[in-house]
Amino acid sequence: MKNVFKIFLTLIIGLHVGTSMAQSDDLVNVCALGIGNATYLKDYKVKLSASSVSPPSAKFNVILNKGTMYKITVCNAEGYAGQAVVELMENAAVLGTNLKADGSFVTAVGFQCQKTGMYSINISFKDGKEGAAVAILSYINM
Amino acid sequence: MRRNWLKLVYVAFIAGAFSLSACSGGGNKKKSGDIEIPDEIFGDDKPLMISQEAMGDIIDNISSPVEMAALLKSTGVPFSQKLLASTDRVDDLNTNFKQALNLGVYGCDLGYLNMYEKTGSVINNMTAIKSLANELRIGQFFDFNTIKRLATNNENLDSLMYISVSSFNNMDEYLRQTNRSNISSLIVTGMWVEGMYLATQVAKEAPNKEVVERIADQKLVLNDLILILKNYKADSNFDVLVKEIEKIKKEYEGVKITYEMGEPEAKEVDGMLIIVQNDKQHIDVSDETLNRIITSIEEVRHKIISM
Repeated sequence: MKNVFKIFLTLIIGLHVGTSMAQSDDLVNVCALGIGNATYLKDYKVKLSASSVSPPSAKFNVILNKGTMYKITVCNAEGYAGQAVVELMENAAVLGTNLKADGSFVTAVGFQCQKTGMYSINISFKDGKEGAAVAILSYINM
Repeated sequence: MRRNWLKLVYVAFIAGAFSLSACSGGGNKKKSGDIEIPDEIFGDDKPLMISQEAMGDIIDNISSPVEMAALLKSTGVPFSQKLLASTDRVDDLNTNFKQALNLGVYGCDLGYLNMYEKTGSVINNMTAIKSLANELRIGQFFDFNTIKRLATNNENLDSLMYISVSSFNNMDEYLRQTNRSNISSLIVTGMWVEGMYLATQVAKEAPNKEVVERIADQKLVLNDLILILKNYKADSNFDVLVKEIEKIKKEYEGVKITYEMGEPEAKEVDGMLIIVQNDKQHIDVSDETLNRIITSIEEVRHKIISM
């Protein structure tokens, strides 16, 4: 009987993982539609659990090219309290974030790159709440 | 009671199998007799010098060929069909090594075709991509029918670009999840070489400053590319490829890159934060160095497309 439980549990988890993946792909599709006059390059999917002590974050490295205007658009998944905070970083320095000083968010972060090199996109959730989100990296057609 | 449990498990099994096959497109597994074996089993299980996670990070870093195509178009350089790799030899590509490298080449060409809105010429290219992706068991991520419809109806080029690029991103993600980063690294290498080929051929005809600078600053990417390929150099094919890419790297020794630091500025425009970087990058590349880079790229690209 224990084995039956194990098989059943595995199937339920498998179904849940499959559904979660499909949901995050749907969110990417929806988010990509909202990037405006920009061309999609990459997407970053993040799902983080809540933590008040040390809010978790996800970091993605990317090489950005001189002379290109990039745009990072963020979409939060429904059903989670967390709102994604995106920081564009060069080494340890934050170049910009979508979180304004008054606690509100800008719709997207644009970056006029003047130096080809490694940058990183850091994503966490405001106040360490649980959240799921997608960030789309695109370039603006000039 | 036991019979009810078995019924429940049976129903759950059917539902689970149906759901998962619907999500994956049903093509992720290789059959061996009556038993289906997951792709992970076929992954490269040799010890890696760097972790799978670090590999993925490095592969992610390498810029999209779409950016190179966009740069070429923005300079006003006209489209040139003769720059594209022929799709006639697809059936001769009989190993995963050759297939993955050339899949990268055709993927880059697809970005170039889309960027110039040459949608009528996309079908041959897509057919080659679909064929190679199927051989590599990642064809389920390439939405051939949707791309074909968008291309032939010349409708919504942004959607065409999005589906094309995201198809490759999804293939890459799946390969890495199933421990097949060796294939992923070859696709990225093929894309990079083809992107460089397109750019260097344009620079050869008309050396536009932005294009030459983009070619020169790929010096930063070369080390990463060599690092991921070296991971698999126990395979003689990879070893040969590493030596070819190292020849390109050698020609880059004459490229000098210097920086001037500045403070970034930020302003909000229509709800979007715009960051303007005030650092400056100076690139110094002589005509002689550029010509040697162009020749080395031509040689490596020729070897890849005539395998």
